[in-house]
Amino acid sequence: MEKKEYDAVILGGGLAGLMAANIVASAGFSVAVVSKVFPTRSHSAAAEGGIAAYIKGNSDPNDDPDFMSYDEVKGGDYLVDQDAAELLSAKSGEIVHILDAWGAPFNRQPDGRIALRYFGGQTYPRTRFVADKTGMALLHTLFEHATGFKNIDFYNEYYVLDIVKEGKDVNGLVAMEMKTMDPVYLKSRALLIAAGGLGMLYKHTTNSYINTGDGYGIALRSGVALKDPEFVQFHPTGLYPSDILISEAARAEGGILKNNKGERFMARYAPHKFDLAPRDIVSRSMTIEIREGRGFKGGYLGLDLTHLGKEYIMERLSLAYDAAKTFSGVDATEEMIPVRPAQHYFMGGIDVDITGSNHDLNGIFAAGEAACVSVHGANRLGSNSLLETLVYGRETGDSMVNFLKSHKNVESNSNVDDIVNTAYLYIKRESGEHFGTLLNELRDIMWENVGIFRDKKKLEEAVGKISDLRKRSVNMYVTDKSSNYNTEVFNAFETRNMLDVALAVSSAALNRKETRGAHYRDDYPNRDDDNWMKHTVAYLGDSEIKISYKPVNFTRWKPEPRVY
Amino acid sequence: MEEKEITVNVKKYNEKDGVFWKSYRVKADRYTQMTEVLRRIKTEQDPSLSYRASCHMAVCGSCSMKINGIPSLACKTMAFKVMDEKGEINLESMDYYTEVRDLIPDVDTFYDRMYKVMPRLYADEEVIEGKEEQRMLPEEQKEVWKFQGCIYCGLCVSACPSVKADEKFLGPAAHAKGYRYIADDRDTKKEERIDMLMDSAWRCTSCYMCYEVCPQDVQPVIAIKKTRSHLDDYRGPETDVITMARKHDNAILELINDTGKIKESSLYLKTFGFGEAIKDSINMLKSGKIKYAFTKDNNVKNINEIKKIMGDKK
Repeated sequence: MEKKEYDAVILGGGLAGLMAANIVASAGFSVAVVSKVFPTRSHSAAAEGGIAAYIKGNSDPNDDPDFMSYDEVKGGDYLVDQDAAELLSAKSGEIVHILDAWGAPFNRQPDGRIALRYFGGQTYPRTRFVADKTGMALLHTLFEHATGFKNIDFYNEYYVLDIVKEGKDVNGLVAMEMKTMDPVYLKSRALLIAAGGLGMLYKHTTNSYINTGDGYGIALRSGVALKDPEFVQFHPTGLYPSDILISEAARAEGGILKNNKGERFMARYAPHKFDLAPRDIVSRSMTIEIREGRGFKGGYLGLDLTHLGKEYIMERLSLAYDAAKTFSGVDATEEMIPVRPAQHYFMGGIDVDITGSNHDLNGIFAAGEAACVSVHGANRLGSNSLLETLVYGRETGDSMVNFLKSHKNVESNSNVDDIVNTAYLYIKRESGEHFGTLLNELRDIMWENVGIFRDKKKLEEAVGKISDLRKRSVNMYVTDKSSNYNTEVFNAFETRNMLDVALAVSSAALNRKETRGAHYRDDYPNRDDDNWMKHTVAYLGDSEIKISYKPVNFTRWKPEPRVY
Repeated sequence: MEEKEITVNVKKYNEKDGVFWKSYRVKADRYTQMTEVLRRIKTEQDPSLSYRASCHMAVCGSCSMKINGIPSLACKTMAFKVMDEKGEINLESMDYYTEVRDLIPDVDTFYDRMYKVMPRLYADEEVIEGKEEQRMLPEEQKEVWKFQGCIYCGLCVSACPSVKADEKFLGPAAHAKGYRYIADDRDTKKEERIDMLMDSAWRCTSCYMCYEVCPQDVQPVIAIKKTRSHLDDYRGPETDVITMARKHDNAILELINDTGKIKESSLYLKTFGFGEAIKDSINMLKSGKIKYAFTKDNNVKNINEIKKIMGDKK
């Protein structure tokens, strides 16, 4: 097997991975960026509305970073580590400046300064944007910047199988080139997991097809913990029926949600913030409206933009307009856009501290949606995911540089062959379970039982069924035996990852007997700070998830009722 | 929702079996995207079917392929809109790129073209060090964003005839990318970029295929024309193409100055010279199109007004 050696290997070519790659490479270390897609295909590209930032001299005169941190803490229903939130706010302005210097074409004010707009849960407007394709614009900026470094090698369309380690030391990873099916051992002292989210676990998701929780899966199998995996965000405005995201920008720019009676129903659920209450609240309200018969036939509600005027819609919300037109045949300048909630984001992730370091293994880091730094707590605010990928991509890059300066190479690679042999078993087996069957069952269970409204019965059933699927998955096999882009094998690998993380999500949700942020329990409908103001820490055992808890970091804000 | 069974014919390829067509029957409704059709085939019928797909909302540029012969993004294509009266749809790998597997071609040559045009901003040192803030007027941002909208899908290059005929032509997407940085006043390498792009820009035949197939309406051919307008700033080697370009530019100026309009046959003669014109006249004679060379073309009436404006320009 081919072996290549780098100082740092980064799994994932989205915003978090590329930001860290730029930082580590600037410090003179060699970097490999490994991704199962060409970097611009990463899910960061799908982020629409914008990036929140407090920029001194270019923000609302009443705003300051403390308001921003407070919004994050309250938005996250107090499960936010407040030191992490403060860092996120404090560095937000710098990040926008860096991106601007690297060429990001942010929308501008008439005087040439970067423009801003309101987003859900913000006390003052802070969202910076590039039309409604902010993620794509920033991803291209970062990728193109990274291609200017001679010490960054890109391994595009390489699928990562598992982490190589010696005792507690990380020693790189094994990947397979999708074009040739050849395995390669990428050895490194530092490993960053920035492989994004897990939307494909759910039948209805706004996420890309590639969001299969690969980073979480390989982390769990290497003895690395996930933090707060029960917290899954459902976005209010998935386009009906394709679940394509209609950006929160649509409501931020004045769009209104209406039921089949034409009522602005959010007035009843969030009398101050209306349609711009945090996403968990809006998604739950919408689900109740649909459940109680005030939705439209087929199970959706209307997002009304018509009063904004054609010109404004075309300039600020062109993607929303195009999506509604192309995918639902609706002209948003004249009719309401059909929307319903769909899975959107994973607040949980690989357990890391404020430096992006995980402490289960030496030399392992995580950033972006793959990580849980606990800036989002129990519910993420809009415009904060792009911000997190970049601020913590940068912080983590700095931590990796420090680590590389003080840690020597570990020789030996005891589990490399095991990793490859296990992978080959899927191809060698002549009969067994097919990935498609397992996957379709999994996506139904997660949507029905581990979705927007949860209870003990549903969750117990989910844990049981997912455990069964995991047992069956041991016998997964593939019909395709060819050796170029054998995508069936990669789908099987993805399914293995999805089943592992699904077990963590459902088990942690069953354990948390309260309602907080996006985790809503019909049987425990209230927040319970006395017993549950704590982070879940989940490890993968042989056939079950081992759960423990750890405290939330408070700096200045005491829990209050969360009213919007 | 009303469902119909449709037939999807896929041109498959693998090393062992070579090229072969395979048909699938799939249920779809009027909201079903072609990426969803492919996903259903793969998870329910033929797991070996290989294709690229990611965002399913036309921003990642993965699912480029030919749908009924037309270069398209599968996600942006609704099954019901493209099926014929028998409910059939044909899928093939993109033209130009080497086939590797089913609907997955090797697009490295596309990426190499993009890397050639220094696709990144080189800002002022003061800005990089954080000492200075960059400003940008909204109009300028609009222009930059227009050409920054390219999603690396590769469809324009697969559809471009000049790319196939002329290896020195960088191709439409790379030109859109290159021009995006020329248009950006925050960049410090404008001269270098103009020198790098100019020869290639004049190799485009303005056929507008890129304009037709681009799923993001980036209009690469317009970026090429805008790049050409910087010809006077070009300081690179005087290649044959550049010489032709200068003649062409001068001819247009002269013609407008003298006649008030662009007379195609005179423009041709002035750009390519008498020898080339004779050669092409023979070709036109053979193909029966020579009459177009002699279409009557009058000068505009108020030629003095035009001379005044042109005088200002000079």
